[in-house]
Amino acid sequence: MVDGVTRVACVLVEAFAAAALERCEPVLREQPLAVVTGAPPATRVVEANARARAEGVRPGSSDADATVRCPGLVRRLAALDAEAAARHALLEACLAVSPRLEDAGPGLVHVDLAGLRRLFGDEAAIGQQLRRQARAVGLEARVGIAGSRTAAAVAARVGPTVHVLAPGAERATLAAVPLATLEWSEALTATFTRWGLETLGDLAALPRDGVGARLGPAGLQAHDRATGVDRTPWAPWMAPLFWEEAQGVEWEIMTLPALAPVLERVLERLCARLVAAHLVADALDVRLALASGGHHARSVALAAPLAEPAPIAALLTLDIEAHPPSAPVTGVALSARVVPRRAAPGGLWEPPPPAPRDLAAVLARLTTLVGSANVGAPVVVDSHRPDACALVGFEVGDPDMASNSPASRHLAEAGRVSGGVGGDDSCEAAAGTLALRRLRPPRTVTVETRDGRPAHVGDPAGGGIVVVTCAGPWRASGDWWDVDVWARDEWDVALADNTVWRLVHDRLKHEWSLDGVYD
Amino acid sequence: MLVHQLLRQGAMTELVGPLSSGRTSLLTLCLRDVTRRGRLAALVDTDHAFDPVGAAAAGVELRHVLWVRAEGQRRRALKAADLLARCPGFALVALDVGESPPRLSLAAAFRLRLAAQRSGVALLVVGARRVVGGAAALSIAARRDRLAWAGPGPVPRRLAGMRSEFHLVRKQGAPATTEAERLWWTA
Repeated sequence: MVDGVTRVACVLVEAFAAAALERCEPVLREQPLAVVTGAPPATRVVEANARARAEGVRPGSSDADATVRCPGLVRRLAALDAEAAARHALLEACLAVSPRLEDAGPGLVHVDLAGLRRLFGDEAAIGQQLRRQARAVGLEARVGIAGSRTAAAVAARVGPTVHVLAPGAERATLAAVPLATLEWSEALTATFTRWGLETLGDLAALPRDGVGARLGPAGLQAHDRATGVDRTPWAPWMAPLFWEEAQGVEWEIMTLPALAPVLERVLERLCARLVAAHLVADALDVRLALASGGHHARSVALAAPLAEPAPIAALLTLDIEAHPPSAPVTGVALSARVVPRRAAPGGLWEPPPPAPRDLAAVLARLTTLVGSANVGAPVVVDSHRPDACALVGFEVGDPDMASNSPASRHLAEAGRVSGGVGGDDSCEAAAGTLALRRLRPPRTVTVETRDGRPAHVGDPAGGGIVVVTCAGPWRASGDWWDVDVWARDEWDVALADNTVWRLVHDRLKHEWSLDGVYD
Repeated sequence: MLVHQLLRQGAMTELVGPLSSGRTSLLTLCLRDVTRRGRLAALVDTDHAFDPVGAAAAGVELRHVLWVRAEGQRRRALKAADLLARCPGFALVALDVGESPPRLSLAAAFRLRLAAQRSGVALLVVGARRVVGGAAALSIAARRDRLAWAGPGPVPRRLAGMRSEFHLVRKQGAPATTEAERLWWTA
């Protein structure tokens, strides 16, 4: 057992390079097929399907030798993009059965079977389901099921197409498997023959340390294969970050009105996949195949993540109209860069927050209107200096985190209990916190004092107001270690004109100023 | 409860009163109530008078507040409020028109009201006097009732709070009554 995995299925597509080509050209399944690489006369066979193997064509043989052995042999150059697409298709097919996969190589996928019994039945039924899924994407697979990935991989290569090894009996079952049925390097095969080994059981009976000392890492891997022991951790396969959809057309498209419906169809398929995965597209890469043989590539960044095909199609059409391709179009491929869809917060009856696109547009217009320095979310700066605040960019975050945070509750409670003169009226509402309307910058005033307390406030513009009641002083100072040292006394004063001000005496400059008005 | 009486989705409310009447404290209470429930609020501050430090101490979630400072430019403040009122998703758009607001034209006032109606935003206009007239679904006037001082001796050392009285000036669709609706609130 590795990483909590108790039973593993190994999905194997034999001769994967040939299978990938057969997936693109199904007619090749009825013919002997060899996948070749290299330019003549150094062309070599790298893979062959079952029909070609039956005729004696083997990987590594020369093209001429293969042709002699199988006169009707169909040869195709290895296609890396077809193999990559087939590999991804096999993983997606297995993903429909189990969410926990491991990409073990081309045509080889390990599937964690934990919890699948209730969905599909016994392990044989799960194996059949995996084969059906693989067949649905054009690949014929064999399935081995065992308690370890190594044993499952061996089981997938021998026996029936769905080969289930009973729990605890893996080693005994594998012991009878002839070594010749598995693929080994030439050096290992020669060594096994020299040592007189015929089955996996013979190899497993040898001491592992001794095999490792004589054959190195390859010998250790072979011994683990024989004993069915996993030595590496499970590496789960994650869904790719890029989502692609493509469509070829049977005719050459020369005008944008003819291209737009094709784009919309591709986008509808792509957006449907994104919606099902709870994703939205942040940017799109468009690749138009041209009749001239080239490609016309465009990258369209969306102002806000979207998964609605109509607005994206409009954006793509406008972009292609501004940057038209140089030749008629024969194919359309779209690749989306995706981000997770943000959940709509709030209660059932509460409206969702602004759409990112709308909010970005409004913020841009506000910035144009009042300047970037005057738009944003206020933050309190960690300082005792009065009016220590700043503006930061306004973003729509996860509201639940803030509204339910302990600090929020604490502040809310503090706000509720602070202040208050009490009231006996039945119409009295819950108490709040007295707010200050700040004067920025503070207005300098002249103040007459009596017994060290403000008694009359005069405005430089003329006139003066008698102080009815005053409270204070509240002394504060800071930054004495820096050039911006400040020290002040704050007074709350009620004036004769029914206003209540915060009056400040700067103890360094010996000036009086109005800091704000309580309102 | 007071905020629920004051704010209505898709409607415009006007809160007027002289300085030290308690209108800004009530505005802060509205911001607190909205942002504590995880919703977004926007404040168009014509005179740059909003005090974030005091608001944070009062429990306002500042990161859910979009603060737009018009630096005394009343026409820009009005345009900013109009833009925000047209953006669905804000639970509250508050326009603080300051101490010397000019009365809005009838067209501008009803344009604001229509924008709030369409987007479902609660629009709150706060100022020294009424500026939107009949476009407001609810008009409340604030007046200071009394102050409370605190201190250990005969001389007060701090301002403990302020009690305000709010009375209904206009309520759209309500029958005319001879008895004025009044509410007292302490900050």
